[in-house]
Amino acid sequence: MRTTSVLGVAVMLTLGAPACAGGGGGSSQPITIGVSVSLDGDFSGDGKALEQGYQLWADDVNARGGLVGRKVRFKFVNDASSTQQVVTNYQNLITRDHVDLTFGPFSSLLTIPASSIASRYGYAFPEPAGGGPHVFDRGLRDVFFVQPAPVVDNLASYTRWLLSLAPDQRPRSAAYATEDDPFTQPQLDRARALLEKGGVQTVYTKVYPAETTDFTPIALAVAQSRADAVVLGTMIPDAVAFVQTFQQQRFNPRSLIETSGPDQGGQFSDKITGGNTEGVMVPAGWWPSAKTSGNDRFVRAFLARYGGDAGSISADAAEAYSVGQVVEQAVGRIHSIDNAQLTDALHSGTYQTVQGAMAFDSKGQPNGSSFLVQWQGGQTVPVYPAAVAVAPPEYPKPAWR
Amino acid sequence: MTTLVLEAAVLGVLTGGVYALMASGLTLIFGVMRIINVGQGALVVLGAYLGFVLLRQWHVDPFLGLLLTTPALFVLGVALEVVFIRPLRTDRESLSVLVTYALALGIEGVLGYLFGADYRQISVWYDTATFQVGGFHVAVVYVLGFALCVAILAGLGLLLYTTTFGAAIRATMLNRAAAQLIGIDVERVSAIAFGIGMATAAAGGVVFGITTAFNPGSHYDLISRLLTIIVLGGLGSLRGAIVAALVMLVVQDVTAVLLSPTWAAFAFFVVLVAVLVARPQGLYGLRVRERI
Amino acid sequence: MRQTWGAWAAAAALAVALALPLASLDPSVLNIAVFTLMYVGLATAWNIIGGFAGYISLGHAGFFGIGAYALGLLVGHLGVPGGYGPFLLVPVAGLLTAAVAVPVGWIALRTRAATFVIVTIAFMFMLQILATNLRGLTGGSQGLGYPAPEGWSPRFVDVPFYYAMLGLAAVAVLAAWWIRGSKLGLGLRAIRDDEDRALALGVPTWAFKVTAFTVSAALVGMIGGVYGYYVTYVYPQFVVDPLISLSMVLMAFLGGTGTIAGPIVGALLLEPAQLELAYSVGEARLYLILYAVLFLVVILVLPSGIVPTVADRVGSRRARQPVAPAPAPGEAAPP
Repeated sequence: MRTTSVLGVAVMLTLGAPACAGGGGGSSQPITIGVSVSLDGDFSGDGKALEQGYQLWADDVNARGGLVGRKVRFKFVNDASSTQQVVTNYQNLITRDHVDLTFGPFSSLLTIPASSIASRYGYAFPEPAGGGPHVFDRGLRDVFFVQPAPVVDNLASYTRWLLSLAPDQRPRSAAYATEDDPFTQPQLDRARALLEKGGVQTVYTKVYPAETTDFTPIALAVAQSRADAVVLGTMIPDAVAFVQTFQQQRFNPRSLIETSGPDQGGQFSDKITGGNTEGVMVPAGWWPSAKTSGNDRFVRAFLARYGGDAGSISADAAEAYSVGQVVEQAVGRIHSIDNAQLTDALHSGTYQTVQGAMAFDSKGQPNGSSFLVQWQGGQTVPVYPAAVAVAPPEYPKPAWR
Repeated sequence: MTTLVLEAAVLGVLTGGVYALMASGLTLIFGVMRIINVGQGALVVLGAYLGFVLLRQWHVDPFLGLLLTTPALFVLGVALEVVFIRPLRTDRESLSVLVTYALALGIEGVLGYLFGADYRQISVWYDTATFQVGGFHVAVVYVLGFALCVAILAGLGLLLYTTTFGAAIRATMLNRAAAQLIGIDVERVSAIAFGIGMATAAAGGVVFGITTAFNPGSHYDLISRLLTIIVLGGLGSLRGAIVAALVMLVVQDVTAVLLSPTWAAFAFFVVLVAVLVARPQGLYGLRVRERI
Repeated sequence: MRQTWGAWAAAAALAVALALPLASLDPSVLNIAVFTLMYVGLATAWNIIGGFAGYISLGHAGFFGIGAYALGLLVGHLGVPGGYGPFLLVPVAGLLTAAVAVPVGWIALRTRAATFVIVTIAFMFMLQILATNLRGLTGGSQGLGYPAPEGWSPRFVDVPFYYAMLGLAAVAVLAAWWIRGSKLGLGLRAIRDDEDRALALGVPTWAFKVTAFTVSAALVGMIGGVYGYYVTYVYPQFVVDPLISLSMVLMAFLGGTGTIAGPIVGALLLEPAQLELAYSVGEARLYLILYAVLFLVVILVLPSGIVPTVADRVGSRRARQPVAPAPAPGEAAPP
């Protein structure tokens, strides 16, 4: 009997040993992940969604045993959407609180200064929301943009779909209007170039300041152009304003796509009354009904914790959740949370997330493509490419009711 | 093109009315108390949230809800003045900028805590209804908002120019010390002027909240526009605030469609600077020997 | 007596400041110190026009932004690599800022009091719009990058920035101190008290105002340049930011405008407090409310600022001490 118990203990120890290896601090110590989120200021809506997504992932991974057998704990700090604060925050997180890992904040505007700090200390910096081109030309190899496609290609699916329509169905003219923003403007320029080459005539194009509060004059001009297709580079306030003005002016384009806003769930749909969200498109890397890795679990957990309905979940939360998933898989492959090894690992291989599969090139840019999503029956559904579509695209967009 | 410009001009006039309303309170407060209420924008946003809550929770139409929110904000204004402004004895003008900024931050903080940073909008059932005028559509909400602003400004004008209390206000605006000498209770006048300023913010806030998506941080853009309007119009002049608001919005909206939205705001600032170079006191301001 | 006491205190403070990085190389401490010294310089520079002359500018962030862009563009176009090089170009950025400040001041200083305040705000927004729209020059909304300093270890990298900000803060304080004691300073005070009277008495108010405004702007521009280099990337709305304008004004008022020590004290108190508050309690989203409350309490309790209030209290306590009666001729003085 004794021999068996000694053997039993020996077996347990041998099995338990790998779980104790990897990462300093002992096997019972939680892994701390430092993140600066914008809880005040311009980005506070997105910051809150990021925090929710990150936390849901932490709860999920902890329920399954954590990373390398250790529980994961987030240290969230508020950067109030300010550069000084985000720099200070990551400095403190790394040198004062000695966090094990760092994840990124919201927006390219804050990601760039933050990435300089994280990279300086050799921390891997997977981030959910900094995809503007300059994020990747700073020569840092530790930054990873966890979305399926680099921002500039965000509208690629849309242009492909539009040009794939039969010639007599295809829109003949297009109007473009965008915020002067490192996120939206590059997408629109790329889309316009592609559509012009495909024979769609540009009848209106305008760039407006990001701090504009009154979008009606521009929306009027777009409506006046009577374009067949309207491509807008927006955030929530302008996304809503354009739709409302088009309704007031009885302007019914055959296709309408906005780069951001319609993907913000309830924040968009609760301002557009009468079922008029029908047919509005948005490029997205994620949607509630997608059959992607872990999405069911994510959506259920989100609704259980925060209530509401699937249509009100912000894509920001899914993007944050994906960061966790990517890191979890990378850590799983190398059995360590060492930052240098993590950075190396992230540069190779494919990762499965709620946003689909993704891989990162040498600059940390993802090399996939986003999808086309459309509001149908009060929900956003993926409609293109066919492989991921849940329903066919509605075209032309139904007239305003 | 001409229809577009015309539409933009009409839009400029309609939205100009809203800004005129919001700016009128600001210029009134300056005229009576010689303080710059940097918190006016935050109070407008507060008014917008109040309208939002009334609609959401109790299904009260926001315009009707003004019957509640206006007196409420009036009382709040008087209270704020007594508690935070009146104690400032020395350097009142400069310190008031800081105090009202602190109040604005506090209001932003409270609103952020209660409502979060999500964008809201007061969605009335008629928000996409339009009047058809000639070739184009004018949104009903803009017209209603404009009508409200005209009504309130007319009321304000009546108050100032036909009532005894109005005369007291105007006297205090012209010369505070002299007004005191002839027996006007300038402190009381100040408190009430501040309250009126708040009440106009409530009304302006409702119209603002119907036409624009807002969140607690929206007050920064607002206050910078309001301040430039009252300077263009002449600090303390109600007429000036109205004219300046109309000028600003029409210039901006027309520039946005004719030239480019990016230069719209710049065009307005150029107008402002040009006017101030010629007339440092603004369009309708009085040239007085003033010290801050 | 008070003069020498002040000078000794300044010397002691400078010695401590110079030695700080040697004592504690903790980057998070140095990081806060860099931003704090930045505001010491900004508040002091602002005070030259705002406190001394009484012309409250709420648009100084415009000059901050010009400096940040100027240095970035100089470094970019001249191909200066990261390291000590960019610091040498800081004075040039200051000169460029001054060049812009002169015409701006020319127009703005024609107005008085509250109008001036608002005109400075307008100019600040105009500069922000120019920074956003002149895409070919500034990179527009995509921003402008600075080269990363090569070869500096993570523990060391904050140190040169610390000394750069310290140096600029010292220059600002020296400038303010020198101006205050000079004829220019006297003239500015006369302008603050009663400009028309000063003008009537023959004070060259125009020249004095523009000079003070330009000096103030140049200092702020240089500090802006070092800031841009420190955070490695410049965006129009983050450097030409009304909050930066307001913060420097607040600190000057908190400490006491019109004094030299006032803005310094204000910055030393407010900036670390702000950064710390946001870091520690920011998650509760009560940060803004707490900040506002703190702010209000201080203004209502200390309306003329900390330094003058403290100086008054000390002064009145000294005055309240009983004075010994003069000894009558022939009597011995009391011990």
